[in-house]
Amino acid sequence: MSRRQSPGKILGRVGLVLLAVPALAAVFAPLTARHSPTRPSARPLLKPSLGHPLGTDDLGIDIFAQLIYGSRISLAIGLGAAVLAVVVGLTVALVAGWRRGWAETVLMRLTDVTLAFPFLPLVLVLAAFFGRGLIVTALVIGAVTWARPARVLWAQVLKLREYPHVQAARAMGATGTRCVVRHILTRLTPVTSAQFVRVANAAVISEAALAFLGLGDPNQASWGIMLANASSNNALLTGAWKWWMVPPGLALTLVVLGFAFTGYASEEWADPRLASTGRLRFLSSRRRRPSPAATAAAVETPDPGPILSVRDLVVHYDRQGPAVVKGVSFDVERERVTALVGESGSGKSTIVLALLGLLPGDPLVEGEATFEGRKLLRAAAAARVRGRQVGFVTQAAMNALNPAYTIHFQVSEAAALTMPQEEARRRATDLLETVGLPASDHGAYPHELSGGMRQRVVIAMALANKPDLLIADEPTTGLDLVTQAAILHLLGDLKDRLGLTVLLITHDVQMVMRVADEIVILQDGCVVEQGAVDTVVADPQQDYTRRLLNTRLSPLTVKV
Amino acid sequence: MGNEAGSVSTQVEADPERPSNFHLQTDNAWSGLVPVGRQVLRALPLSLLVLAVAICLNFALPRLAPGDPIDFLIPAEQANKITYEQRMELASSYGLQGSTGEQFVRYLGNLAKGDLGTSTRYGAPVSELLADRLPWTLLLVGTSVFLSTLIGAALGFRSAWRRGSASDVRTLTGVMVLDSFPPFFVALLLVLLFSVTLKLLPVFGALPGSEAEGLEFAIEVARRAILPIAALTLSGLGSAFLVARSSAVTELGEDYVTMAAAKGLDGAGVRRHARRNALVPVWTVGMLNVGALFGGAAPVETVFAYPGLGRLIYESVLSRDYPVLQGAFLLIAAGVIAANLIAELVYPYLDPRVRRPGTAGS
Repeated sequence: MSRRQSPGKILGRVGLVLLAVPALAAVFAPLTARHSPTRPSARPLLKPSLGHPLGTDDLGIDIFAQLIYGSRISLAIGLGAAVLAVVVGLTVALVAGWRRGWAETVLMRLTDVTLAFPFLPLVLVLAAFFGRGLIVTALVIGAVTWARPARVLWAQVLKLREYPHVQAARAMGATGTRCVVRHILTRLTPVTSAQFVRVANAAVISEAALAFLGLGDPNQASWGIMLANASSNNALLTGAWKWWMVPPGLALTLVVLGFAFTGYASEEWADPRLASTGRLRFLSSRRRRPSPAATAAAVETPDPGPILSVRDLVVHYDRQGPAVVKGVSFDVERERVTALVGESGSGKSTIVLALLGLLPGDPLVEGEATFEGRKLLRAAAAARVRGRQVGFVTQAAMNALNPAYTIHFQVSEAAALTMPQEEARRRATDLLETVGLPASDHGAYPHELSGGMRQRVVIAMALANKPDLLIADEPTTGLDLVTQAAILHLLGDLKDRLGLTVLLITHDVQMVMRVADEIVILQDGCVVEQGAVDTVVADPQQDYTRRLLNTRLSPLTVKV
Repeated sequence: MGNEAGSVSTQVEADPERPSNFHLQTDNAWSGLVPVGRQVLRALPLSLLVLAVAICLNFALPRLAPGDPIDFLIPAEQANKITYEQRMELASSYGLQGSTGEQFVRYLGNLAKGDLGTSTRYGAPVSELLADRLPWTLLLVGTSVFLSTLIGAALGFRSAWRRGSASDVRTLTGVMVLDSFPPFFVALLLVLLFSVTLKLLPVFGALPGSEAEGLEFAIEVARRAILPIAALTLSGLGSAFLVARSSAVTELGEDYVTMAAAKGLDGAGVRRHARRNALVPVWTVGMLNVGALFGGAAPVETVFAYPGLGRLIYESVLSRDYPVLQGAFLLIAAGVIAANLIAELVYPYLDPRVRRPGTAGS
């Protein structure tokens, strides 16, 4: 099985090589080209020969020399314009997006005004009125293209501002500059480098386009001018395109490609999410209509044994890596609340994600898990029970709602997996009311609700298809104490009313003692102790259990 | 190859399999209108401001440039032969007599009447020339941006779902290589392949020379539009692809994607969730491309001698036909403003956080 690799690293190296070629050509042009790129050195329209590797143009100027010297123009214009545009654009975006208010109004008006002048026509017009020098071209391209980076980056800043952790940092009193540098600027790097590349691309191409249109600096040998000359001398018809058109065209393409590849690599390097190659297995799962036989089987098996039974579960995040879960066995009894307790890093979330087939990448999962008498550890089996027989409240559930859909839609979408559309909508309404959201909030989007409300929505979502087992991963983390109590109360209430079986994942021992019947204590991927909560709390057998219980009672006397 | 390629489109909202996510707002249906109204109020003054700046710039440029604006009105070959009286006559016929203030007022008055002046090259009203050229540019730009956004986004999303796989790397590399060819170089290569070598398609102008009618006429027009559209589509593909891919890959890292799988949605359902949010930047970039191509198609139009606005600008620069140049510039600016306005108006429907700025807790 081939290992997945993010494309950035390879593309970045190729890109640097692609850029190194014209860079070297630009630096060593006088050594490489034996003829002048601007003065005739032989008869016109010569075919390629040893003395003139690419022949001569209509004035008898050596085409190879023009090709070599042309790299100077392209690189200078590309880099110069890109630096100018990105520095201006980033400054505008940060000031406008962070300060808001009148600064934003003025700057974004300015940006829009600039954007409204497509730069090619503007450069054409300016060239027509002000002349056609190389530096003028570079300045105009840079001065007109800053607006696009500014606008894209500004939108990004606005988006970042609303990120929970940025809002949190601001709420906790982080100063503007620190916030900008820590949370905004670092996250802007990928977009900024992408914009840099885009401007460099645009600058190189538009210099060539201008020259091609006859508006280049006539005293310079530029690739665009070469293409224009070749084109006006009918190189396409005479066959001269092979040495007159293809070399400058490909040279242009390679420089632009070099910028594109390096830009992509820097984007990936700056934003690890883009480099994530982890395959998401669930992206390729197919919908299965529940077959009548399977449904019937599920109904007629009132198996008295545990609803979920895990034996010798071993999980590696990837095939080469170490085991994160090292042979875990436990049972979840019907209509009981079983708590999976451990510190962060003990593997408790990993166990659940592995059971449900939600681990990203290419993990190695061994052992056995039986849910309602059926094997669970195959991807297809996990996909079949997810959301139907097993409801799952993910970690950080209050951030697990899609910002683009109303909460009612997101709940009814889940319910629609097992019932007709109309019924699913009614069920969503009922469920949202059950978890304590008034009807007036049902049409709300996630961003309009508080964290506790969103948590309730996710619980409603998990209950949409009347699951036999509800798995809740740290359902109260990140909520204030009052809301924590309310959510716990809700879970307990639901359990009693719906006869739910609950698998609760938490590090909060106090919570376990309040709501759980059974407890499984995990340390470093292994089960340390398990049993009824009352028994374990009354008479812990292991040091680790004792320490864990004591942290709740008095954090200062951990060692007794 | 991708079975989802067909379902990837900018028309997620029209997906018949999905219930409308607005169905709960029927009880207060008018609330759907408010964001449009707010957005019009927000975006329209801005568009007007941009237009005003374009109009002023248009007036100022010939006057700021070195030399007498009248010089710009005299074809280069006649520059030395012209008499003082002829100059004055020219000045009055082009509204260049009197103080700058008077000239500006007259310029605005003419503009209000739709009078953009007279071409020094053709002697025809500029507005007529522009009206002749505009449909051809709309044909090229509209079709090519639509195609490149559709194909680019479809490929980009498909790549994102397979991030890191060999097929993703192949597509990414291929699209970036394609994207790096300068549009006019692509155009030249297309001419070389389809017209010079294969002799399949004509390469000159937009209209057939012979008197074709009806369907035949339409076919001839299409045959002449294929290559320019292909060149513009190929060169616009990259930006749509890269934006779609990177925004979808980013969305895949969000918690709601795992949640969508956890609540039982199949692959297509989970992808729909991610795609819905990844479409926002794709839309923005698509509309930006429309604006950029309005005049930016000039090199491609030139290769094919296609009578669009870009080519008109190019011709008028070469023949120093400044009234046409300015008129075309104004029209292109108006086109970009329109594209931006549309982008702004639709944006709130793509992102509810913009449509209904909330007061979230947490």
